[in-house]
Parts: sequence; C-alpha cells; structure tokens
Amino acid sequence: MASPLSFTGFVWKNLKRRRLRSLLTLCGIGMAIGAFVGLVGFSHAFEQGWQSIYSSSGIDIAVIQQTFLNTSVDEAAGAKLKALPVVAQATPMIYNLMDLTPEVNALVYGWKADSFEFQSLKVLSGRRFQDGQAEVMLGDLLAEDLKKQVGDTMEIQGTPFKVVGIYHGGSGLEAGAVIMPLDQLQQLSSMQGKVSTYHVRLRPTPRGMSAEAYRKEAQAEIEAALPGLRAMPATERANNNQFVRMAQGSAWGTSLIALLIGILGIANTMAMSVFERTREIGVLRSLGWKRRQVLVLIELEAGLLGLGGGLLGIVLGWCALHVLAILPQTASIASSSFPWALAVEALGLAVLAGLAAGALPAWRGAKLAPVEALRHV
Amino acid sequence: MSDATLEVRDLHKSYDEGRIEALRGVDLKIAAGEYVVITGQSGSGKSTLLHLLGGLDRPTSGEVRFRDARLCTATDLDSYRAESVGFVFQAFHLLPTLRAIENVQVPMLALNHPRADRAARARALLEEMDMGHRAEQYPNQLSAGERQRVAVARALANDPEILLADEPTGNLDSVNSAHIMEILIGLQRRRGMSLIVVTHEQEIARAAPRLIRMRDGKVEA
Repeated sequence: MASPLSFTGFVWKNLKRRRLRSLLTLCGIGMAIGAFVGLVGFSHAFEQGWQSIYSSSGIDIAVIQQTFLNTSVDEAAGAKLKALPVVAQATPMIYNLMDLTPEVNALVYGWKADSFEFQSLKVLSGRRFQDGQAEVMLGDLLAEDLKKQVGDTMEIQGTPFKVVGIYHGGSGLEAGAVIMPLDQLQQLSSMQGKVSTYHVRLRPTPRGMSAEAYRKEAQAEIEAALPGLRAMPATERANNNQFVRMAQGSAWGTSLIALLIGILGIANTMAMSVFERTREIGVLRSLGWKRRQVLVLIELEAGLLGLGGGLLGIVLGWCALHVLAILPQTASIASSSFPWALAVEALGLAVLAGLAAGALPAWRGAKLAPVEALRHV
Repeated sequence: MSDATLEVRDLHKSYDEGRIEALRGVDLKIAAGEYVVITGQSGSGKSTLLHLLGGLDRPTSGEVRFRDARLCTATDLDSYRAESVGFVFQAFHLLPTLRAIENVQVPMLALNHPRADRAARARALLEEMDMGHRAEQYPNQLSAGERQRVAVARALANDPEILLADEPTGNLDSVNSAHIMEILIGLQRRRGMSLIVVTHEQEIARAAPRLIRMRDGKVEA
C-alpha cells in the first residue's frame, strides 16, 4: 500500500497533531465569523424589510432633511410638495422605536388616515384608524406577540390607545409594527408640526423619457421648490435611514471586534506552533525546503484554520439568525432565510483573517537559519 | 578545473561577533565518490565544518565550492541542499506526525517530484534499508536503529551526490552502530556518492580510508 505525501496532507497532519489547540482556535474564529454572519445577516434582513416597505407602497421618492442630525421635516412642506406638477401623491409619516412592554419594543409609524401607504397592507380584522383619535392598528405578528385583538386597549408611553385594526404587512417591519394617526405620534414624540419624511409618488413617466431620468428631474424639481430638503430615491432611502445605518454600523463594529479577537487567536496558535516546531523547520530547511516553501506551509495551516473556522461560523451564524427569527423581540425584523452572498463573504473574510494572522509567524519561521533552528531545544 | 566534488578554501567561521572562532582557515578537497571521516574533540570545529560543507550555514570568510561553482547566495544553498546533499543526523530528526514512508518523501516535496513517484520511490528506499515492512509506522513506533535507517532512506530521497552524517551512531548501541555504518559505506560504494561522516568514535575513524582530524578550528597536519 503506497502512501503518497502531499503538501496539503502535510499541512493537515500538522494541524491534527495539536487537536485541542486547533479545535479551540477553530472555535475562536468560528465565533467571530458566526457573530459576523448573525449580526450582518440581521442588519441585511432589516435593510431588506425597509426596501420591501418602500417597494410595496409604490413610493418613488422620500423627502427628508439634508442634515444628518436634524431628521425632521416641517409638516407645512407638504402643501408645496403636493402643488408640484411631477408629484401625484405626497404623504407625511413619522417613525419611532418604542417600548410597548418591558419585553417588547416595536417600530411605531404615524400615518395620515388617508395615506396611500395603506394600500400595501391587508386589514385582517377591524378598520383603519381615524385622524385625531387615540387609535392604533397592529401588525399581525405584533398582535399575536402582545395577545391583543380589535377592541382591546393598550398603553403606549403612558397614553391608552384603542386597537381598531389588525393588518398583515408584506415586510416583517410592518407585521411587527404599530401604526397610529400622525398627530398622535407627533404628540407622543414631541414633534408637533414636524414629520420624519414625506413619501412621494410621481406622476407617470412621460413618453420618450427614461424612468431614471424622470426621477432625477423630479428630485431636482422638489429640491428647488423646498430648499434645505433632500429628495432621495426610495431604494436609497431604504438603505440609508438612520435605523438601517445604526444596525449596519453596530453589526460591522461588533463583528470586526470579534474578528480581531479571532485573528489574534490564530496568530497566537501559529506563533506557538512555529516556536514549538523550530527544530522541525530546521530539518525541513536542511532537507532542501526553500524559505518560500516553509512560509507557504505555515500560511496554509493558518488559512485552513481560517477556512474551518469560517465554515463553523457560517453554521453558528445561520443558527443565530434562526433564533433571532423566533425570539419575540426580534422576530419582526430577522429573517431565517440563508444569506448565501453573506456566507461567501464570511468565508472569504475568514480565510483572509487566517492568512493575515499566519503572516508574521510564517515569516519568522521562514527566515530561521537552518543550523540555528536545528540547535533549538 | 579541479577534480574535487567539494572544495573549501581558507574557511573561517566565527560566532558572537568574532569572539568565538569555530573554524580558522580550513582548506579541504573531497573527490567524487570519496569516503571521508572527520574527527576531533568537542569544540574542535568538526560539526561546524560539516554544516558549511552541507550548505546549512555560511562561512564568515573563505569559500565553499561544489563542482567548481562557489556557493554564495541563499538560493544556491537551498538548491544545493535539495538536489546534491543528503543529511543524516545524530538525533534522527524524523517528523513525528508522519509515517516512515511519508518522512522519506519530505525532501521530495522540496523538488516537487510527481506525487505517484514519491510514494513508490520512498518505498523502494525503505526496502533498500530493509525497512519496507515498517513503512507505515510512525517514528515513535520504531526502535532507534530503525529510525536511523528511515533517516538514511530520507537522506537518499533526492538521489544526492554527497551524503553527510553528523554523529550518525551517537544515539545507537554497538550492534546498530555497526549496521548503520555498514549501510552508509555500502551506499557510498554502490552509488558512487561522496560520504562524509563526523564522529568521535575511534573505531569508525580507524576504519576510514581518509581521516581528517580537527583541532582548535583547523585541520591537523
């Protein structure tokens, strides 16, 4: 029976030699990649939820403040907006994140009773609320969570509201949300006379003009009519609202910290491994191995640890997304569908992390003089 | 053109910023197919000389020439070690994670031999060492004598012209010592390779056709 030894087989045997250490390193990088897949996957689901809201409501443009910190728009801008020839419909809205119970917080939208955005919702029971009344509609997911039905009363920020309708929304961000009259949320949020944004539907694109060119022209027209405000394409707004940006920022920030810890773990493992195998490296060099070959050997070991950790992390992250999709606090936002593109990204990141972590130990191993390495005890 | 395979000229090697002089002007010629024993007391410079002859280290001054070409750069030394030299160490230095047959293939990886050939060649070498039946064992499953025979097979992996052995019998009992020396001398004769053995064992020294005695970093006259 012949036993051909391959370069990768040699790498694998070196990793297997210190099983516990390799396993612990795999777990370290696996946790980091798991955090990345879970958190960034969660923020992607959040972003997709917003995109779904905008696309299902047929919103073309969102009008917001130009400055990042001041996110409210004067409600009076609505009249000027509606008067523009390119604008078919314009409706104001506010959104906020509120604690409904100590365990459950949810997005709360403030809409006008005649908002065109209702068209994307299906009322399952009850009716639409009336402006000026302390009434709310609940998404079906939230209603189930809170065990509320039409006719019940619920308290939001100390104010009692009557549940007048239960609806189903296309996105988890709607199904797990509360919708109330704009004026009521303005009061709760101390935003009288202000709205978060105006959502605009444009008139049909004129013949001979591309939809994009028409939208750009409409944006320019709106911004000219309402100085200080910004007209954004709806899809861009979906990716760019402060909730999405906060979710993305915290997801990437936490993931990077976890990844850094994972990289340090691999670097430590590889540094220890090179130190312990100094004499072996001397043997390899004395047997004719070039520096480059020693470097590739150690880098392959580190890269393989990264790859293994990446695969483990993808499984952990996928499990985390499933758990988030079940938990009442996050069920309305998280999606359990597997983010393939993110998994590929995570795997690439894990391998790169492994290679980066192995670079210094590999370089140190490769530059060892054979005779000195052989003398190492 | 010199008739020597390996030649050193005015070789000096010092350590610790010149405070320790291991070699102090060694001149030596070793012909193709020659068997040479280098002996001397501890600290006489014999192992340092062997390391320089094998391209494991660079001299402080002087030169090492292989087939009339001076070995200067790290690349020269890497190629020289991979293609022309085989090492046998006192402590065997087999890799513990690899089976005997895999250990023999390690030098072949340096030269990218075809994978199928590697295994067949390693097995043939182990059989030549009468170790074919132990090919699948790990080093810790082998006796000291067996380990050294695997190490000799590994030294032959890339069919070198020069076999260098640093105290090859240092960790062996008398029976195994005699067996290993018999194998090494037999290889030198059959394959026509140069064999350079560093040893402090007088029995081996006495039996050598050419003996080089080292003392205080110099070849004794």
